[in-house]
Amino acid sequence: MTEQERKVPEGILCSNTHEWVLEEGSTCTIGLTDYAVEQLGDVVFVELPEIGSEFTKNEVFATIESVKAASEIYMPVGGKVVEVNEELINSPEIINEDPYEKGWLIKIESETLADDTVGLLEYEDYKEEVA
Amino acid sequence: MDKKTFLYEEQEKLNAKLIPFAGWLMPVSYTSIIEEHNAVRNNVGLFDVSHMGEVFISGKDSLNFLQKLVPQDVSKLKKNKAVYCQLTNKEGCIIDDLIIYKLNEPDKEYLLIVNASRIDEDLNWMVRNSLGFDVNIVNDSHNYSLLAIQGPKASLLVEKLGMKQESQPEYFSIKRGEVANINVLVARTGYTGEDGFEILVKNPYSAYLWDKILEEGKEFNIMPIGLGARDTLRLEAALHLYGNDLDETITPVEAGLAWSVAKDKEEDYNGKEVIMGQIEGKIKKKKKLIGFEMVDKVPARHGYEIFIDGKKAGIVTSGGPSPVLKKNIGLGYLNLDDDTTLNTMQKTIGTNIQIMIRNKLYDAKIVKRPFIEKRYKKENV
Repeated sequence: MTEQERKVPEGILCSNTHEWVLEEGSTCTIGLTDYAVEQLGDVVFVELPEIGSEFTKNEVFATIESVKAASEIYMPVGGKVVEVNEELINSPEIINEDPYEKGWLIKIESETLADDTVGLLEYEDYKEEVA
Repeated sequence: MDKKTFLYEEQEKLNAKLIPFAGWLMPVSYTSIIEEHNAVRNNVGLFDVSHMGEVFISGKDSLNFLQKLVPQDVSKLKKNKAVYCQLTNKEGCIIDDLIIYKLNEPDKEYLLIVNASRIDEDLNWMVRNSLGFDVNIVNDSHNYSLLAIQGPKASLLVEKLGMKQESQPEYFSIKRGEVANINVLVARTGYTGEDGFEILVKNPYSAYLWDKILEEGKEFNIMPIGLGARDTLRLEAALHLYGNDLDETITPVEAGLAWSVAKDKEEDYNGKEVIMGQIEGKIKKKKKLIGFEMVDKVPARHGYEIFIDGKKAGIVTSGGPSPVLKKNIGLGYLNLDDDTTLNTMQKTIGTNIQIMIRNKLYDAKIVKRPFIEKRYKKENV
C-alpha cells in the first residue's frame, strides 16, 4: 500500500475518469485519485471554477496542467460550487503530495447526489478496475 | 505495435512510465519530470535516445552529395567534427534537422543522426537526391543504441568510465574510444543546453553500458531521464523540436536558424534560392520564430493561438513550464504575411502578446532565446 493509499478517506466514491467525491454533511468534496495524480506527474497549474457556478455530472469543471499537458477534470456528481481550494493556485504541487486531504479541488452542494452516485465505485473496486 | 529499444528491460526495472513516441515505446519519466530536469541542470542525467536514426554515408561523392542536401558547408567539416544541419526541400523548407559527424572511417565517411519520426522521409529524400552520385546511404538505426550523458558532471562521469577528460572529444566533436571498456563512438553533443555526451553503442552492449553508467554515476547523483524532461530541457535551451517548431512549411531562416546557414557556400543545394533570398532580404519571410514567457501563470501549449493587440498574429509551437525559471515559457511563430506592423518591427523582444488558452486571452511577452544560458564546454574550440 502506498502512503497516499493509506490516506484514502472512508467512504469516497470514484469515477472512471479518476475523480473522487466524498459526502460530508451538506457538502461534497471533490478531488483527483492517487492513480490519476500518478499518471499526470508533476502538477504545475490548476484552473478552478468560480464559486457559485453550477455543473452537471460529467461536465468539465477544472483544468489541471502537468509538465507535459493540460487535462480536463470532470464532475463525478453534479452540483453548485461553494468552495475552491485556493491553496492550489500558488502551490499546485499539493495535488501530487496529498491528493485526498490538502489536495482537494472543490466543495459543492448537490441536489442530484442520489442519482449521480449511481455507477461510481468504492475505492477498493475502483483500484481493482485501474490496476 | 511499438518498437522497444534494447534498454526496455532496464527501464522496466527502473519503473519508468512508458509511452508510445514516434513508433517506439519510450520512457517519458522515471520519477518526476521536474526532479529529472533539475538532475541534468545540477548534476548529470542518462537518457536512452535509441529511437534516433543513424545513417552512414560513404562513397567517393559523399561530400558533394551532402553539400546538395543541406544549407551548411560540409566541406569545412574537419575529421571528427560535427555540424548542426537541416535537410531542406526545393522550397527551402525543413524536412528534418540533424547533426552530421565526419568520421572518415571505411564505409562510414559521415554519420547522420536524425529524428526518429523522420527516418523514412529522410531516407526517401536522400535516395531521390542520390542520382548521379557515387554514394552509399546506409540506415544503420536498428544496429545501434544511443545513450546521452548530459549535465555539468557528465565529463567527470565519462572520465570515471575510462575516458580521461583530456582525451574526451571537444564540443561538437566525435571520437571512437572506449567507455566502460566498450568500443563506442562518443560525441560531445546533446539536446539539453548542458555540457554532455552522446554515445553510440552497438545494441548487444547497450544494456551493460546503461547499467555501468548508472552505477558509476551514483557518486554524481545521476538519474535516468525520460522524454518528458528531455522536452523541458531542450525548451529552456530554445532548441527546436521537429514536428513542433520545425516542419516542411518553415525555412531555416524563418526558424531563427540563419546563424547555422553557410552564407558563402558556393555549391547549389536544395532550397538555396529561397534560403539565401530570405537572408539577403530579397525574399520575404512568411513567419518569424519567437520565444515568449507567460506573464499570467498559465502554461501555453503547442497549437495555441498568439494575439497582438487583439488580432490573431501567430501560433505557439512549443510551450510549458520551465523548472529552472519557474515560469511558463514557449516558442512560436508570428505571421509576417500581411501584418505591416510586424513587418516593420525591427525588434520584437519585449513586445506584449496574448495567448488564447481555453477561449480566454492571457498575457505573455516576447523574450530573448535561449531562455537560460547554455553551458557548453567550448573553451578548447
